Amino acid sequence: MRVKLSVNGSVYEREVEEHFTLLRFLREELGFTGAKEGCGAGECGACTVFLDGKTVNSCMVLAVEADGSEVETIEGQALNGSLSDIQAAFDRHHAVQCGYCTGGMVLSVKELLKRIPKPTVPQIKEGIEGNFCRCTGYQQIIEAVLDVSGQAESAGKGELKHA
Amino acid sequence: MNPIPESVLNVKGQTRYIDDLPEAKTLLHAAVAASPCARGLLKGVDAGAALALHPSIRIITAADIPGVNQLGTAVADEPLLVAAGSEWGFRGQALALVLADSVSLARRAAGLVTFSFDELEPVLDAREAAAKGLIILSPRTQAMGDTAAAFASCATVISGRVESGGQEHVYLETQAALATPAEGCAMRVISGTQHPTGVQEGIARVLGLPMHLVEVEAPRLGGGFGGKEDQAALWAALACLGARVTGKPVKLVLSRKDDMRMTGKRHPYSSDFRIGVDSGGKILAFEADYYQNSGAICDLSPAILSRTLFHAASAYRIPNLRVTGYMCRTNLPPFTAFRGFGAPQAFFVIEAALDAVSRRTGIDGAKLRRQNLLCDGDSFHFGMPVENCRARLSFDRLVEKVKWESLRRNIDSHNAKDPLVKRGAALMPICFGVSFTKLLMNQGGSLVHVYKDGSILVSTGAVEMGQQVSRKIARVVALAFGVGIERVRVERTTTLTVANTYPTAASTGSDINGMAALAACQEIRARLLVEAATLLGAPAPELSMESGRVMRNGSPTPLSWDELVTRTHEARIDLSAHGFYATPDLVYDMKSERGSPFAYHVYGCAAVTASVDVLRGTWRLDSVSVVHDGGESIDRAVDIGQVEGALAQGLGWALLEDLRFDEKGKLLADTLSTYKVPDFHFMPEKVDVEFLEGFPNHRAVMRSKAIGEPPLVYGIAGYFAVLDAIAAARRTAVGGEGPGLYDIPLTPEKTLDCLMGARP
Repeated sequence: MRVKLSVNGSVYEREVEEHFTLLRFLREELGFTGAKEGCGAGECGACTVFLDGKTVNSCMVLAVEADGSEVETIEGQALNGSLSDIQAAFDRHHAVQCGYCTGGMVLSVKELLKRIPKPTVPQIKEGIEGNFCRCTGYQQIIEAVLDVSGQAESAGKGELKHA
Repeated sequence: MNPIPESVLNVKGQTRYIDDLPEAKTLLHAAVAASPCARGLLKGVDAGAALALHPSIRIITAADIPGVNQLGTAVADEPLLVAAGSEWGFRGQALALVLADSVSLARRAAGLVTFSFDELEPVLDAREAAAKGLIILSPRTQAMGDTAAAFASCATVISGRVESGGQEHVYLETQAALATPAEGCAMRVISGTQHPTGVQEGIARVLGLPMHLVEVEAPRLGGGFGGKEDQAALWAALACLGARVTGKPVKLVLSRKDDMRMTGKRHPYSSDFRIGVDSGGKILAFEADYYQNSGAICDLSPAILSRTLFHAASAYRIPNLRVTGYMCRTNLPPFTAFRGFGAPQAFFVIEAALDAVSRRTGIDGAKLRRQNLLCDGDSFHFGMPVENCRARLSFDRLVEKVKWESLRRNIDSHNAKDPLVKRGAALMPICFGVSFTKLLMNQGGSLVHVYKDGSILVSTGAVEMGQQVSRKIARVVALAFGVGIERVRVERTTTLTVANTYPTAASTGSDINGMAALAACQEIRARLLVEAATLLGAPAPELSMESGRVMRNGSPTPLSWDELVTRTHEARIDLSAHGFYATPDLVYDMKSERGSPFAYHVYGCAAVTASVDVLRGTWRLDSVSVVHDGGESIDRAVDIGQVEGALAQGLGWALLEDLRFDEKGKLLADTLSTYKVPDFHFMPEKVDVEFLEGFPNHRAVMRSKAIGEPPLVYGIAGYFAVLDAIAAARRTAVGGEGPGLYDIPLTPEKTLDCLMGARP
């Protein structure tokens, strides 16, 4: 089937096999390898991308379902090479270890902050609960989110614990 | 343009893991056809249906292996592919390799390969295996003093049984390898491994090549945690076999489900203990038998058992001790290295024993533990003297920090009032030995180039898998040359640049490789300073390098780093060096089980509080506080991340992660929906990690201490915090002392059983 969609603002049109997931299409056909397959079953969130403004597990969406959509991936977050605020906060707070979950995590945080600009810790946990990280134990990620949402004072004893 | 830090590449999604690399047009994708039951005798492979699927499909079996069909090192029990006429040992063992020109085809075809075989009766339980004599190598005992005599003089003696479950690594990047045939018979493979030399050795053996024809590169890994040590070799060797047979590049990336079914995990243990104390609670004697479920393949089991025995007494002084470990061969996947490496299982047993003593005698758990802590002047049961001991220091600091006594009182008064939610708390010290317990592995090399523009490239055997060992090594190198860290690039690990390495494991990555890098830097630095002395007309001993400049007696000279490098090169002096480090002063005699196998120990203490919903059996972790002895950190933010990450894994192992097999040896928890790992909600709101300040460690690079594994053990306190809450409920509802069986993981299901009195 022919699929036409935009990724990070550029339009792509390709012939695609019907069973191809959006994840495989992005990675194998278009070269956006920032979305990762962690489980292939919608459990881990490493493949998170924006589809028409909402985050999805791209391993659970067929490429043909995304026909005519706007897709946003982690590669589209750093404008002209400089990090987005969320990316910079992740870097600053050492919210990245092996990096495999990071792209999906950053996009889920972006979606959360669009809905709730100043989330509480429980709201952060609920907002990005679909993303697993096996390395960090999540604390430094939560601190990065508090910091980027202007709540640095909540990120630890009045000062940023890890900045 | 300076090198972009890996963390920046990561947040941009630009890091390339194996499956992200551009694919050659001729690339073939591989999948593995695996054994369908836990134990069987393979008679034949029927590939008809698989081959009919597509013309690109190729099936490769043991008969295609040009070299020796063997990956096992300690014991030759690990065939690359099980050969017809041989037995397989676990469900999910590789029987045939399937190649196709797309990954989905390869995986579908693998599912269509069928086998003719005789199904054999499996053994799944470690104790049953031991009873049947299915022991790998031989049992191993460490002992000190005379336990029999000591037990006779004890006021209280308690025996008990302890179980701890396995644990799946769930590195987010599954096992992967990309093999490319090179000129001649050479093979080049990019392998997601913590142990490039081990992979190189395995491939050389199965392809029948000398090691110099096999090049292994380990790119950045999407997590390892021990699961990509020996366990990575199989997938890399299979990819190479496919590449050898077809002459084309072959990529093998396991699906999550295959990874969970086919690869090794943390060893389940079943243990018996006997502990004796005097009337005041002083430990006089301790005995334990550890039945390690080693799975079907020896793998790293001996080294893991070794660490269990070395950590039997944890941070406690026990004058009479006798511990024995059995490696029990079962028909489960090959249990392997996982962060902590046999030590957590041992810590759990001694903590269970102390919990039993506390509940029986009524001596407060904290008081009981504190009075038995190790001190300088003591010795470990294997004869190593206890030095620079920080057990009491960290314990006392933690007690003060969490206000332990009032915390306990608050919990008790809460529990007296609230029948539905019971709270609990637990506190435990750690003492973790750093070094590979196998002496020979404590060595590492490096290669440092200073390019003539002043930029620096470092290669070591350390594999980057998120623990930021590259960042630490870059800092060591930058400091050695007195330049900014942006001048240093740490290259990925390959067997071309550094040979004969040992795995990035045992928390020794930065200790050994940082020192090896430093050794090379010091050699180049000395040459540079000789040249600087000539250029400045000053004696070399007065010179040093700082802030990108040569200093004389601490004051800046006009000679910059860049100019010095240029002038040294013009003087035809070598700006490259190979460095080597072997951890000094390690001695161990396996026969007498005596010696000093560790460079040093890491101490610390953790307190965990938890609440249990008495009606539902669900628990919640309320807080974790840690005081950790981390030496002088090379990078504190990295170390905090290591402690918090290890904690999550340790708490997950203790409470949540339930690696369950059915009665035929089939893994039931083989997806992330059935195998739960810690998520955002699992971790407590309050995680407070404090490092002991002002205690440099003179036995490691830049006075630091290894950080990767020791904090995982703190997770055990989570188990005891929940158990404490259950005990509070049972005192009122059921009565009784504590469990007759200590059993990890303490899932909500087991918690409910305990509350209902359905478990001992």
